[in-house]
Amino acid sequence: MVGEIYMKRYIINSLAIAAMFFAAACKPEIESTAATTAGQANFSKYISIGNSLTAGFADGGLYLEGQKVAYPNLIAAKMATVGGGSFTSPFFTDAQANGSGYLSLTALVNGTPTLTPVTTNLALRDATGKLTKFSGEVQNLGVPGMRLDLAFAAPFGAANPYLERLLTDAQVGTVSYFQFIQGRNHTFFSLWLGNNDALGYATNGGVTTDATNVLTDKSTFALLYSNLINLLTTNGQKGVVATIPDVTSIPYFNTVTVAALLNAAKAINPAAGAVYIQTGAGTVRAATAEDLIRLPFQSSGLFGVPNAAGLPYGLHPLNPIANNWVLDKDEVARVKDYVLSYNSTIKSLAESKSLAIADTYSYLNQVKTGIVIQGVSINSSFITGGAFSLDGVHLTPRGNAVIANVFIDAINNKYGSNIPVVDVSQYRGVKFPN
Amino acid sequence: MKKFLLSVLLSVPFWVLGQGFQVNLQGQKQIGMAGAGSALALDEASIFFNPGAVSFLEKNSISAGVNPLLFKSVFQQNGSNISENVKNKIAPPFEAYAVWGPKSNKWKLGLGVYTPFGGLVDWGNDWSGKYALTSLNLKAIYIQPTLSVKITDRIGIGAGFVYNHGEVNLQRALPVNFPDGRSGHATLEGTGKGFGWNAGIYINTLSNITFAVVHRSKVITKLDDGDAMFDVPASLEPSFPDGNKFTAELPLPSTTTLGVGIPLSKSTTLAFDASWVQWRVYEELAFDYAVNTPALADTKSARNYRDGSSFKLGVNHKASEKLALRAGVGYALTPVQDGFVTPEAPDANRYILSAGAGYSFTSKFEVNASFFFEDVQSRKQKNIETGLDGTFKTLVYAPGISLTYKW
Repeated sequence: MVGEIYMKRYIINSLAIAAMFFAAACKPEIESTAATTAGQANFSKYISIGNSLTAGFADGGLYLEGQKVAYPNLIAAKMATVGGGSFTSPFFTDAQANGSGYLSLTALVNGTPTLTPVTTNLALRDATGKLTKFSGEVQNLGVPGMRLDLAFAAPFGAANPYLERLLTDAQVGTVSYFQFIQGRNHTFFSLWLGNNDALGYATNGGVTTDATNVLTDKSTFALLYSNLINLLTTNGQKGVVATIPDVTSIPYFNTVTVAALLNAAKAINPAAGAVYIQTGAGTVRAATAEDLIRLPFQSSGLFGVPNAAGLPYGLHPLNPIANNWVLDKDEVARVKDYVLSYNSTIKSLAESKSLAIADTYSYLNQVKTGIVIQGVSINSSFITGGAFSLDGVHLTPRGNAVIANVFIDAINNKYGSNIPVVDVSQYRGVKFPN
Repeated sequence: MKKFLLSVLLSVPFWVLGQGFQVNLQGQKQIGMAGAGSALALDEASIFFNPGAVSFLEKNSISAGVNPLLFKSVFQQNGSNISENVKNKIAPPFEAYAVWGPKSNKWKLGLGVYTPFGGLVDWGNDWSGKYALTSLNLKAIYIQPTLSVKITDRIGIGAGFVYNHGEVNLQRALPVNFPDGRSGHATLEGTGKGFGWNAGIYINTLSNITFAVVHRSKVITKLDDGDAMFDVPASLEPSFPDGNKFTAELPLPSTTTLGVGIPLSKSTTLAFDASWVQWRVYEELAFDYAVNTPALADTKSARNYRDGSSFKLGVNHKASEKLALRAGVGYALTPVQDGFVTPEAPDANRYILSAGAGYSFTSKFEVNASFFFEDVQSRKQKNIETGLDGTFKTLVYAPGISLTYKW
């Protein structure tokens, strides 16, 4: 009897212990591979130099949501675990969160998007488009529209509203971007500049009308880039530089294809035989798949509209698509050639200074064919590709996260640091309307 | 103008199954012995472990048990410093058996209801692998009427017909974003059925060392008319029509087990089971949607499982007339090849440890309890299809209890 009671207790106690063990059930743990380290780099004060991509420009505008997920901001947040300090950015205020304004996708009917400008809560200072000034410490020094050549031109500070808002009144027009980024006591930098030296020309259809769409001379590019690198490494600072993507890897030039235009024309008039373009050389000819048509042509309302003589726009040799809408085959080849030259300059200068190289040129070429990251398919399709925002040029938050990891990998590989990667799944692609 | 094909959004198919879905909890006594015991005529759970041994059971009996199972998995993305854990959810594998036969006759009838496959994994809707999977709830309930016959005093054979009732609920996030930034969500839910069999032979040698050969057939479970539900922004709804259905096939593999029982003394018995699980049937997984759109194509993806196997050693010790103590160890080899590891079955080779106790309150009434622990080895993988890149580590805890009435 006594034994029996004992046994009952034994069983009950055992069950109780098991239940407690179960409730507290030890979590599995993954042994970390290495201690967190900055390696040979010092991330205590990071600055980022660049253009719209660096600023977080997206959907055709600079606005607070984009600024917050700009790739340098994502990198800086991760650097914090390996000795990184605070990282300041010229954020718009919450009240003016929509900044310059941007495009939003308001309808998607049968696959055709409607893009509508957001015009509320802007940070406009006046009717000329000047933006609310930002004063104070800035470490994300990305300025939309900045070019390598214009980084050395003081008057550009008056012409570019994004640089203008960062300058004091006295500096506007007298201080160049190159001068503006100096004296910031950085310990580490990223540099992704030069895209617009080729892209400005390309997105204007290979037509040069002003300083923002000239194709920067190759040797000028090399000289200026060298000056910039020398400045940023004056005190032996380490950093990462990025190559310039192939302009044909972005949706801006891959969405409105000649074939799509021709199909649309045939749907209305089965007799439509070819799309006609005016080339940079001034000739008019039937377009081929090698001629790239700019994304905004889709919503320009020009295509197929008859002129005074009754000839449909773009569908007749006597009413071709104008030169500025098309980056024709020869212009594509020209831009590609310049980009390759710029990149070879960037790489050799980076190597000479032992800097890390984030090869965004190669990476975005992979994205063009499609990659899968953490269960997400990412490619350079407009809207659905997930990486590019509604302007077809700039990155979505997801694209920024992906690119941030390209930079982080390059930095870690070069300097033996282990900045943690950004979790791409936490960042959105394009927002679809309800 | 340009149509925006969304097919890429769903080009990564859902994943199902793995050794992780094999639930080795079919009888409290055997669980206490790490799942060994096919060569022991221990109790009515022989309906599962070896129908051939059922005819050697001395009494008629009925029993029911449950093993609340906690599957604790952690993931760390390659290069990340963040560990992500599955939510604490308790899966309820259960088993119920009844054995009846006229006393001193050579045959017995049995009925078993048990859950040999299942999984309950919930990573939450916001983890880094959410676009591969957010949660899975899979249940396979086998119902097995059985006949067992003593051919001789030392040899028994038995066989049962298996009906499987399967339920699956599989969810993941879709990489399309609502105006407020949140992701879309897909849920596939359905029930299905399948058929198979379970047969075994039990041999008691002159030295009282016992042997078992058991084969449980594969059970191809067909899910017809499952619900495919997509929560997406309204502008994408034409691509993901409401009320869509899907069909799929879940191949639950066959298992062949060789067992040995060795009486060490009057009160102590060793049991050893070696099992070969023919997972190679799992070559591909296909989902066939009733309505296809350019964004929603049928998916078919390679699995290329190899066969898995397990080795289990258990001991049953009668400490007294009323009390039995048990313990076991085991090791199982994963069928999942490199590049195919997934968050719903973050599978790898695993160690098994178990302990159990039984107490007979009267000659008719018995309680058995067990504790079952699996340590699934940490595995660093990049999934070929989803690109999910990181390290998984899993621990499984399952305490259990059953009540038995004998007559």
